[in-house]
Amino acid sequence: MKQAVISCLHANLPAVEAVLKDIELQGITNITCLGDLVGYGPQPNEVIELIRDKRISTCQGCWDEDVVDGLDACDCSYPSQLAEKRGHIAHQWTTDQLTKENKDFLAKLPYSIRKDKCLFVHGSPNSQHEYLLPDMDAFAALERVETARAETLFCGHTHQPYIRELANGSIAVKVKNADSKDIQEKEMDLPMRRIVNAGSVGEPRHGGTKATYVVYDENTNEVKIREVEYDVELTCKAIIKAGLPQIFAWRLRNGFEFAEQAEDASHVCER
Amino acid sequence: MIERWALISGLKGDLDTYELIQKDLKKTPGNITLFVLGDMIGPSKNCNALLKRLINPKSNELRPQCIYGWWEEQLLAETGYRGNQRAEALRINKGEEVVKSLLSSVDESFLNWLASLQFGFVELDCGLMHGSSRDVGDDLTSETPPLTLLDRLTRLQVNRLFTARSTKQFHLQLKKGIIDSEVCDLRGNRKQEQKVPQKAVIGIGAGKNYTLYDVGTDNTQFVQAGYKSEKIIKGF
Repeated sequence: MKQAVISCLHANLPAVEAVLKDIELQGITNITCLGDLVGYGPQPNEVIELIRDKRISTCQGCWDEDVVDGLDACDCSYPSQLAEKRGHIAHQWTTDQLTKENKDFLAKLPYSIRKDKCLFVHGSPNSQHEYLLPDMDAFAALERVETARAETLFCGHTHQPYIRELANGSIAVKVKNADSKDIQEKEMDLPMRRIVNAGSVGEPRHGGTKATYVVYDENTNEVKIREVEYDVELTCKAIIKAGLPQIFAWRLRNGFEFAEQAEDASHVCER
Repeated sequence: MIERWALISGLKGDLDTYELIQKDLKKTPGNITLFVLGDMIGPSKNCNALLKRLINPKSNELRPQCIYGWWEEQLLAETGYRGNQRAEALRINKGEEVVKSLLSSVDESFLNWLASLQFGFVELDCGLMHGSSRDVGDDLTSETPPLTLLDRLTRLQVNRLFTARSTKQFHLQLKKGIIDSEVCDLRGNRKQEQKVPQKAVIGIGAGKNYTLYDVGTDNTQFVQAGYKSEKIIKGF
């Protein structure tokens, strides 16, 4: 059985509709959403209502959390003060637009969803704000999956889709306890684990304009990244019309999303 | 001159033990820096005399550099220094009576000083924490999975992590290790082999049990105040 995993919809209705259509065309009915339904984009209510109508299993993203609880991210959320300022404008606009019913929906979303050996989160098992970037320290990446007691960890937040396999690991340690004269030496094998990042439907940061998501085949254990074209112009016009920062439209149109990328790939969020 | 760090924790108001350690350190050769890694206070003893001494050391004593620990965190939370938080971890684990005992064991005149203490120190390539940079209550021991210990070292970007929360004295060295990583994204596939860096986590003990660290040679000594030290553990 196949399931689709989508993330970071960011109030971009044309992109969400195009991705859901692509999923439907493949005959996939099992969809999991990793949050960030809102933020940056111009149609927050419409996107939430579409996800609610389709009863898509969804966990809470950092934008969803902040719209409900207020901004409390650590410094790692934005690469610059300018980007942070833009983010705060979008945050305020989104907060003003959302209906009470939709805010309540976001507030009740779970932090994580567990299905068998798969764990679905927005950022990492530690926090919705933590970036699991594709080239982060491999041992730290493995620790995130292992501590969460999962075999495959599905995440989003970075807006860059990837599949990372961590295998053939081992660690040897030498231990001296003060209450023992012995020095112990131990070597242990590390489990094979996988991190799958679904990328972003509504605000891709892979250098192109296409929306991305992933399809997981439970039978073969294979994961495939899907790219979907959508009417970018429609979203850009809506961004301008809504009075959101124009740079959001410029980035979507040109696929220049690296402007919002976290700078430090090795950063481990301590929020 | 040899540079040494003396790392102590878990005094919980015990001025006698602190004086015994200070006496020990007077006899220890080298240029010694004294770090107190939290839990200076506790619920069982009146802690005011010890706190007063830590703030105003005697002229012939080492001046301690202190950070806050789990018990200080609980007290500060309960007295409103941590926003809306209260000492829930203490309340759940030990009960309301212990919360009351803690409040009565520290005079409120010390709260501002306790609140001014740092979470930890990073000295050279070493992290000095009560628990870890993840949490003041992070209970790291020699039985903690190495992957977790490596994560705590990575978070802090240090090669040595001195931790006190477990109260245990141990030296765990990450000797070697390897992992294969393969990333597949829209740019294609890339493989990488990563090795475990040579790092260590050291449990410094609590109360009379403390640790000496020789900065120049990376040697660690576990000491019990008033007794001869354990055999020196060579640095790696």
